[in-house]
Order: sequence, then C-alpha cells, then structure tokens
Amino acid sequence: MTTRRAFLASLAAIGAAAAPPLSWAAAGSPTHLAAARDIDGRFALYGIEAGGAVTFRVDLPARGHAGAAHPDRAEAIVFARRPGRFALVLDCARGRVLQRLAPPPGRHFNGHGTFAADGALLFTSEQVSETSEGRVGVWDVAAGYRRAGEFSTHGIGPHELCLMPDGATLVVANGGIATDPADRRKLNIDSMRPNLAYLGLTGRLEERVELDDALHRNSIRHLAVRGDGLVAFAMQWQGAPEEAPPLLGLHRRGAPPLLAEPPLPELLAMRGYAGSVAFAAGGEEVAITSPRGGRLQRFAPDGTFLGALARADICGLAAGASGLLATDGLGGVIAIAGGKARPLARHGAAWDNHLVPLPACRPPRA
Amino acid sequence: MRHLTAVFLLVLAALPDRAGVDRALDAHILPGFARFAVAAGALGEAARADCRASTLHAPFHAAFDAWMAVGDIRLGPSETGALSVAFWPDPRGFTRRALAGLIAARDPVARDPATFATVSIAARGLFALEMLIHDPEFARYDQGDYSCTLARAITADLAAQAQALERGWREEFAPLLRNAGSPGNATFLTPAEAMRALYTQVIASLEFTAGQRLGRPLGSFERPRPRLAEAWRSGRSLRNALLASESAHALATALADTPLPRSDAALARVREAAAAITDPAFQDITDPVARLRLEILQQAVRALKSAIEAEIGSRLGLTAGFNAQDGD
Repeated sequence: MTTRRAFLASLAAIGAAAAPPLSWAAAGSPTHLAAARDIDGRFALYGIEAGGAVTFRVDLPARGHAGAAHPDRAEAIVFARRPGRFALVLDCARGRVLQRLAPPPGRHFNGHGTFAADGALLFTSEQVSETSEGRVGVWDVAAGYRRAGEFSTHGIGPHELCLMPDGATLVVANGGIATDPADRRKLNIDSMRPNLAYLGLTGRLEERVELDDALHRNSIRHLAVRGDGLVAFAMQWQGAPEEAPPLLGLHRRGAPPLLAEPPLPELLAMRGYAGSVAFAAGGEEVAITSPRGGRLQRFAPDGTFLGALARADICGLAAGASGLLATDGLGGVIAIAGGKARPLARHGAAWDNHLVPLPACRPPRA
Repeated sequence: MRHLTAVFLLVLAALPDRAGVDRALDAHILPGFARFAVAAGALGEAARADCRASTLHAPFHAAFDAWMAVGDIRLGPSETGALSVAFWPDPRGFTRRALAGLIAARDPVARDPATFATVSIAARGLFALEMLIHDPEFARYDQGDYSCTLARAITADLAAQAQALERGWREEFAPLLRNAGSPGNATFLTPAEAMRALYTQVIASLEFTAGQRLGRPLGSFERPRPRLAEAWRSGRSLRNALLASESAHALATALADTPLPRSDAALARVREAAAAITDPAFQDITDPVARLRLEILQQAVRALKSAIEAEIGSRLGLTAGFNAQDGD
C-alpha cells in the first residue's frame, strides 16, 4: 500500500515529475536483458526470464549494444552502438523511455556501463572522440542521471567496465584501439597497447595489466568478474586470424595474467574473435563466444580447455540460473550446464551482442 | 482449427528445408566423406607398401581430389577436424618448421601411428605430406630413411582422420542436421537453421577460394606472391580452386529445390576461366598476362557466389549473421 507521503518522497527521490520507480518484479522479474532487432526490422530491449521467455519489450530508436541494469529499480540503461551518441534510461516495468543521456561534448559512449552497488551512481565507458583516450563517465542517478564527473581509464578505446565484488573498484577493458570519431576506422593497429585497468570509484589507478609485446594487437574488450575477484577478459585479435592467439585471459589482482590456450584447431575455429565472456553461475567454469566462428568455448578457472559447442551467430553470454545462458542472432536462447546445451526458446528477434544479467556484472559465487 | 492450420502451414514451410538438408547430406556430403575415407585409406596402403615420394604422388592426388569435394565444409566434426587434414594457409611456415623439427630429431613419434595424432596439426594431413613428397628439401629420401617412416605415419594418421570424419558426420552430425527443431537439439532450433548452416558453407567456400586460394598468390599488382598459392608444390593450385568451386555449386544444387540456371552458367564461366590458365601452380603470375587470367578466374568465382546468393540466399531470406558482421 503506497501512502501519499511515500509516493511524494519517491517522486522527490528521482527528482522528476515521473511515475515512481517500480521494482524488477513489476517488469516480470527478468533475469537478463538483451537488445535485439525484431523480424520486422525494429529495435528493442527485452527482458528474459530464467526459462527463456520474454518478460518485457521496450522499443529502441536504433540498434543497441549492451546495457546496465539498476540493482533495485526496474530501470535499464541501453547504450547505442559505437560511436555512441546516446544512451537511454528505460522504465522496463512500464515499457517506456524515461530519459535520453548524451555524452558531454567531445566524448562518446563506448557501449557499456555499470551501476554502483547501491545504484546511486552510473559509470559509463567513454572516450574522447578526437583522441580515443578512455574516460569513465559518472552519473548521479538520484539527481535524474545528472552528469557528475569523469575520470581517465588509463588507456585508449575502453570497452566494457565492471564493478569488482568489493563495490569500491572498477575494472576496465582498455581495448587499445584508437578509432576515427566519424566512421570507427581503426587508426593505430601497429602501435596499439591494450590493458586491463583497476580504478577506484573516484578514478585512482590501482593496478594496470598489459600482455606481452607479441600480443599487443589483442584488444581486451569484454569482462566477467567472479565473486572472489577473479576477472576473465575476452579479446579480439587485430592481426591475421590464422595466427590464432589466445582469446581468453584470467587475472587476479596482484598476479600476472593467465592466458587460456585451447588446442590449436579450437583456437582457429574462433576466427580470432571473442564477443562475450561470462562465468557460469557456480563460478566453476568460464566461457567465451565467437559469433564469427559460431562457437562457444568453456574453460576451467585455471585456463584448462573443457569443451566447445557450435551455434551459429552465438554472442550473448551470461551466468544463468545454473551454468550459462547464451543468445544468438537467430533468436535462440540456450542454457548450458555441465557441458550440455539445451534450447530454451527461439524468438522472432536477432539477439544483439550482449546478454546482461540482473544486476549487471553481479559476480557469480567463487 | 485456425491454430491447427497455422501449425500445418509451418510444417509445410519447413518441408523444403528438410528436403534440401536431406539431399545435401545424401547426394553430396556423406558420399563425399565416404569417398575421401576410401582414397585416404588407399594412400595409407600405398605408403605401407612403398613410402618413397615418387610412388605416393598419384594416391596423394587422388586423396586430395576426394578431399576437395567436402574439404571446405567447416561444420560439425569438420569444424575443428578439417584443419588437421588441410592446414592452410600457413603464413608463418609452421608446416616446414614442424617437419624439419621431426626429421632433425628423428622423433620416435612417427614410429607409432596412434601417437602421431598428438603432433602439431601443421605436421599432419595433406599439406604436410605434400611438402614431404614434393619439396626438394624433403622429398629425396629413400626406403629405410626416417622421412619414409614419417610418410607412413602421416598417411596412416590421415586415413584415420578421414575415417573419423566420415563416421562423425554419418553417426552424429547428419542426424543433428536432419532432426533440426527436435527437443534437445541446441545446435539447430529449426529446419531453416540447418538449411542456413549448409548454405553458409557454400558461400564461405567460394569466398575462401576467391579471397585466399586466388587472392593470396595475386597479392598486389606491384607484388604478386606466387609462393603463397595453395598446394603449388604439387601443382594443384588451379585444380583445388576449380574443384572447390564445383563442390560449392554441387552442394548449392543439392540444397535448392528449383533449377539454378544463373549458377549453372556462372560455373561454366569458372571452368572457361580456369581452362585459360597455363601454369596450374600459378607460379607464372609475375607475368601480367598470366596475372590477368588469374584475376579473371577470381572474378568468375565471385560471380558464381553472387549467382548462388541471388538464386538461393535471397529466396530463403538468408543473410550474413547479425553479430558476426558487427564486430564490437
């Protein structure tokens, strides 16, 4: 029962004359969010529940990339594809766009973002359009997603960022690729130098990890974090695919990174490209997907190759109720547990690159 | 009732897909792998009888010919299995290094066919054998030499791989394609997806032929790269390009339930363009006239791909992957 007083208080809390924020239960209790292109060509954000069914759908004006889910409110941020000129705040319970966020002049969004543990701040992956220098944009949620500041990611062309389990550190995948602000053309492949950066929530550089020189063309782009702080990073190789570098790395603060090396034919089958990475719900394995190779590969947390499964245009990947949940460009929602894949549903929508678990980047158990 | 009609229409719509997938398996893929297994077995037998290079040339070509009918398919058992049969392109020269390493060390792994499967995939399969029996650096070995033993090991391993591929396709992957849409099939959720997967192989094969088999040696006009041609040591570069194009067309024909006049005509032009080429190993392409002929063949292969896309792809509403094309 909502009292008049509580109602007014909640209005004040979001600082806008909008309807009060509702919880995720009001959006059908989705477990995941995914952007998609419908069969009729329209773009949308969907909520998906553990069984693979759709719980909500909100129209998007253009193709989305990834999103971030507020920890309590049924609010999601959807980022446009790069170069991101906008992000949308969606009311997933009422199915409408609440707000459109634009990066400050001279910046653009890089497709990913994450909320602080209490949902008070939103952190967005951005770059200085002219130079591709990375920035974390900070947004004050209670003040109606007001821009509250920014700090350096200590790298070029950041892509995904995640909150570490301590709630006080961000881990950023600095992809290393400088792009032309107008057309996404890659400008520095010969000299690129990706890194994994750990930053305090006010921007202090805590640790920065680079790979060997021979792997300087391996763009670190996507992240997954386990409850004990183990970080998995997925890479996209900017050299010839037949050179077959490893595409999955694992890192623990203070230790050198570990690269997961499957057998060579498996590496080659990924076509030098990993599109998403996730730990399974129990944290007992980690997987990457390659839409180019139509392949998902599973590894133990020590980097041992466990197995692969084939699925055309597979990309979206997240921890599921148990094991993993994957989505693909053919509309499939697939559960993977104990190395066995089970189709849950096939929707009339081409699922986009990422499957965002609720709340975003919540670390699976250690 | 309306519901039932809708279900019935869905089943009807799936029929051409199911039939196309069945035809592709029964008329092209499964017989193709069976023939490759027989040819690879014969090559292994020949090496057991006499492992010298010159006696292996003919059965090597026969096995490679058989492989080209199905070698560009990268699905199911072939997804990772094809690479250890045909490790190419090899820009960093892994095959030469791997062979030289085995020979210099007289590595005992070659004496045991079962463990030979554990060596680098660059030292296995058709391209390793090609180098061993055609490259002057390696091919001058005699009976009793380590290299002769190595030839036996490579051919025995190839025969075993061919058998495993044939069995994997027949027993596991063909049923998965045929039973697309059945509960528990997480690879193909509908018959249309199975159709799409096979169609994609046709297009990828033609792209590989135009872009890699022909594109690598063509290089740039200023810098042609004849030594990057596929299988130039055995003089098979042209033959491989032609066989791959014919196989892609044959698979497309099996998938389609209608005649493909444009694709048939395009294949005829590929054959004409191939017939005009003088050096089957493309080693003459530093000569501008020879280079032009190879470029014409490349255009003809691309035209075959466009014709198949127009006649099959557009009709089925098949386009490239949503995510595979995106890249982020």
